[in-house]
Order: sequence, then C-alpha cells, then structure tokens
Amino acid sequence: MLVNKKGSLIGAVLAVSIGILVINVNSVIFQGIYDAIIRDMSDYRFGDIYVYDEERSTIQKSDIVLINWFERIPNVEAATPRLEGSATAETRIAGQEHEKFNVPVLGVDPISDIRTSTIHETVGEGQYVYARNSIVVGESVASDLGGCSQTGFFMSGGTDPTVTGDSGQDECQPVRVGDNVKLIITDQWGIDQKKRFIVTGISGTAGGQGFDRSVIIHIDTLRDMLDRSGESRSIMVRLQESVTPYEATQIKNQFLQAFPNDNLKAETIEESAESTLSGFRSGIAMINLIGYFGMMSSAFAILTIQMMLVNSKTKEIGIMRAIGARRKDILIIFIMQGMIIGTVGAGVGSAMGLGYTTYAKVTKMEFQGSLALEVNYNWQKIGETAFLAFILAVIASIYPSYRATKKQPVEAMRTV
Amino acid sequence: MTKIYGEAETKVTALDNVSFSIKKGEFVLIVGSSGSGKSTLLNMIGLLDKPTQGKVLVDGFDTSNLTDNEISAFRNEKLGFVFQFSNLLADLTVLENVLLPSQIQLDSPTDDKAKEVLEKVGLSDQLFKRANKISGGQAQRAAIARGLVNNPTVVLADEPTGNLDSVTAKNIVELMKRMARDLGQTFIVVTHDRSQFGEVDRIITIKDGRAFEGEYQTEMEVVV
Repeated sequence: MLVNKKGSLIGAVLAVSIGILVINVNSVIFQGIYDAIIRDMSDYRFGDIYVYDEERSTIQKSDIVLINWFERIPNVEAATPRLEGSATAETRIAGQEHEKFNVPVLGVDPISDIRTSTIHETVGEGQYVYARNSIVVGESVASDLGGCSQTGFFMSGGTDPTVTGDSGQDECQPVRVGDNVKLIITDQWGIDQKKRFIVTGISGTAGGQGFDRSVIIHIDTLRDMLDRSGESRSIMVRLQESVTPYEATQIKNQFLQAFPNDNLKAETIEESAESTLSGFRSGIAMINLIGYFGMMSSAFAILTIQMMLVNSKTKEIGIMRAIGARRKDILIIFIMQGMIIGTVGAGVGSAMGLGYTTYAKVTKMEFQGSLALEVNYNWQKIGETAFLAFILAVIASIYPSYRATKKQPVEAMRTV
Repeated sequence: MTKIYGEAETKVTALDNVSFSIKKGEFVLIVGSSGSGKSTLLNMIGLLDKPTQGKVLVDGFDTSNLTDNEISAFRNEKLGFVFQFSNLLADLTVLENVLLPSQIQLDSPTDDKAKEVLEKVGLSDQLFKRANKISGGQAQRAAIARGLVNNPTVVLADEPTGNLDSVTAKNIVELMKRMARDLGQTFIVVTHDRSQFGEVDRIITIKDGRAFEGEYQTEMEVVV
C-alpha cells in the first residue's frame, strides 16, 4: 500500500546485494591469496610448527631426538629436518663453462620430507631427491643454468636476463633431467667443497612460492659439504588436519618446555607467517574497509530511496492517518519495508557471493594465472556480512520512517 | 470554536466562534462559498486539525484533551471520512481499501463486514478490482463504504460530489441519504453546491468563518 514502488524497492535491494557481493568477492580473492600463501608456506617451508635455533644458524641437537619427540605425539603427522646453504652452480657444454652463478641450496631428508612437506609434489618433470648425488633444480634455476632468461626474473650472481635473453637465444637449453650440475659450497671452515650431481627432477610452483629459484639435495650430502654433521637449520613439523591453532600452540609450548636449555625457538605457521604477511593482512583489512564503505553507500542509497518513497506517498500517509492510523503504525510500515529490503538484499547478496565463491572453488581460480586461491566457505563471515547489511538497511530506514510519522493528515492529503 | 491561522499581520480567522450541536441520525449539510471555512470546520470536527479556541464533543465526550494516539483511535472508531477525490489507495483493491479502517483497529479483521457494506453501496461485483481501475462514481461509493465499515458515530464528507458529473453526483447523494436513513447514520456533509442534495434534515451555512443555522440569504438573492 504505502510501499508499492517496485523499481525503487528493487533498486534498494540491489544496493544492499551489491554491497554484500563486493565484500564477498574481495574476501574470495584477497583472503584466497592470503590463505594460498599461508598454505604454500606451510606446505613447502614451515610446516605447522617450525623449529630453529634462536642464536646459531643451525640446531646443534640431534634431529633424531627432536623428531622422535614430535612423532610420539598423536596429533603430529610427521617431522623432518632441513638444512640450508648457498652454492655456486655450474654447467658445462662440451667441456666449456656454460653458466655459473649462486643459488640457495636446501637439504632434505627424502623419506621424512615426503611425509611432512608437499614440496615433492612440485616436481613436474623427473622425481624428487632420492640419492646422495641427486639434485632437484628449481624451474628458474634450470632455465638460467641453460642460459635462458625469464621475463622479470633476475637472480643474484646470475646473468642479466635482458642480455642473455637476446644474445643467448640460440644457445638457450634449460637444464633437463639427467644433466650434470656441479655445486661449489664453501664449508664452515672457508674451504670450497665441489660435488657433481645428476638432475633427477625440475621443481616448479605456482606463484614462485616453492623453491623455483633454489636447488634441493640430500640433507646428508649438504651436511658433508658444509662439514656440519648431524646439524639442521630447522625442523619442520606437520600436524594432523584436525588440529586447531590452539592445539598447535599447546604442542609448541610442550616442546619448548621439553627442551628448555637448547636455545630452540618454535613457531606455529600463524607466527611464522606473521612477519611475512602482516603487510598483506593490512591490505586485506583496507580492502574489507572499502567493502564496508560500499555497504555504507548502500545504506545511504536506502536512506535516499526511503525518503523518496515517503515523499511520493505523502498523500497515502495522510489518508492512512485520517482513517485512524497512529504514528507508530506508519513508522512500522516503513521500518518493515527497511527490514524487507535488508532481508531480501542480504539474501540475494549472500547468494550471489556464495555463487561467486563456488565458481572460484570449482574452477580453481588462480591469481595472475599461477597461484591457486585457497577458497573456503567462511560461514561466520558470510553471516556477519549479511547481518550487518540487514542492520544497516533497518537503520537507514529509521529517519525516513520518522519523517513519515511527522506528516499532518490535512496537509499530507493536499499533496498531489 | 475558533480557528486562526498565522500571526499578527498575516493572521486569518478561518472560523469565528462557531458553535452548534448535531443530533444522532441527522443528515446535515454545511454549505458556503469557496474559502468560507467550511472544510476547516469539517477538519476540526474530524479531529484532523485543532481549533485555536473551543472544543469538539462527540457523544458528550470532550476530545480536546486526547493524545495523538487517542485521537487516531477516536478517528478510527467514531468517525468515517469521505473525501472529494475519494482518496482510495490506488494500489489496493476495492475490498482492501474498505478493509483498511478495520485493519488498523484489529490485528486480523474478517472481510464480512466490508463485503456487506460494499454490497449496500452496490459494489459487490467490484471487490477485487484495483482502486485505480474503477470509475469516479464507483470510487466514491467505495469511499463511502470505507467511511461506514467501522460503524462510526459520524460520517464526515468533504465535497463528496465535487469531482463528479451531475448524474453520478445525484446517485452518490441518493446513496448517502439512503445509508443515513437505513442505518440511522449521522452524516455531516460539506458542499458548495447545495442544490445537489435536495431535502436534508438540517443546513448550516458558513460565511466568513461564522456559522448560521439554515440557508443564508446571499446578497444576490436579496437583490433579486
């Protein structure tokens, strides 16, 4: 009766829906990227709990002791030691030095690493490290060792891609499985240790989140070359999927209590990611803020539309008042209208948002065509956003409704 | 009852010490030329506006001390309104329009009474037509039905034939008179065209804000 302005109502509902959709799309994209980065950091580098020495560059305590401690806990899936270093990688063609530059080296225990990390799944060609002389080469390293450039990629100590990309085009031959690569590593005493490896696999990860710019070798080989027998840079721990962040923190604390005098520091993945992703999280907060500003704009749109409806229905309000409607009755009609706009808008917006989320999940949406977004249905956030939109729609309806009640019947009925 | 609009130099006295009483069941015409104050008077009686001085008594009840909510309830229960342009809500059906006063009063009114009144005004075949799809005469009949549906003490009609052709106007007048006669309903009708109404129980003339019992002899009539 007082509210039958379909175009305006549809406009108001759309304003709410679009506000919600914007927040949902932002959430899918930016939260998806954030979660994807955390997922990859956890899968490739830090696990669910990451242990390292607070003072020294390596853990002195036997990795077997530490791993045994973790693996006796039912919530722990597996644990693995890792050691890091840097090397000069060298390739030769027909006895001539072809390429030579510095690369980061990761030492892994192939057996426990496969259980703890998914980095082995990034080997697209060949297989993971399985012997003392096997090496997995990151995709970028493989390319650079072959004298090929990659747009936008420049490795310290490597070749300038803008130069080799042009001049070395004919000689460009990325390193492949079966090729030989020589690593020169300076041990802890300053002596160069040289060793030739056979490339067993090429590793490539979406968005360069893995070890595309590194090489991976057996941890014992790296220990030997560094002369750091039994030492590890870190222990990476994988927990059962059902373990909550709170339980992870408890396990971490128990571990630190068990080894109080070893200068060990343990971090959950949230803590490990904190420094890396704090800026990103601020970005997400800013994007969300923009979304909420969008929702505020929707509220202003509702306010305007409701004011317009009140003005266009002045005569009807006068008639209703004349035949006995109380101010409260008029107020309720327009507040109810706001509630309907809020409910339908929140419903439609949430449905559209869920539709987009499902689309992103089903199509395995990627960021810049490489990093697969980690898409989850965050029901709490969806509910909160819908509820907020509903409340804003109702709040935006209060003033127009109040204005409607202030109209005097005689004057209102004179309105044409 | 006195009603003054504006202040000081812009002061206009719309009603000047008007006082009269109407008996239950009377069909009363309030006549007067345009701007004489007759609609203002009807608004005062209908509690749509407040007099500057004086009060309206309905069934001996003083309405001057009622709160806004009480006035609304009073209008809903004791008064029926028929306006010049029918003032039906265009998006509702005829039946829904007639049901409105009882919907305000009750949470879940039945439509029996509304249908009964609509049958009396000859619109039983138009119940579900939208108000903007019926003729002016039918709309005014529906407005009369809406004014009667709550069994009000008084029905107040402001120029109910003012927007109708002469044949339709005559039918509406006949209808109101028949309703007054059959239901014993009090009608107070404001009109500037006294001739349309023929014989009525009583006439009150408003001239320059003052009320006169009976038909006021206009200057033109005196000259003739």
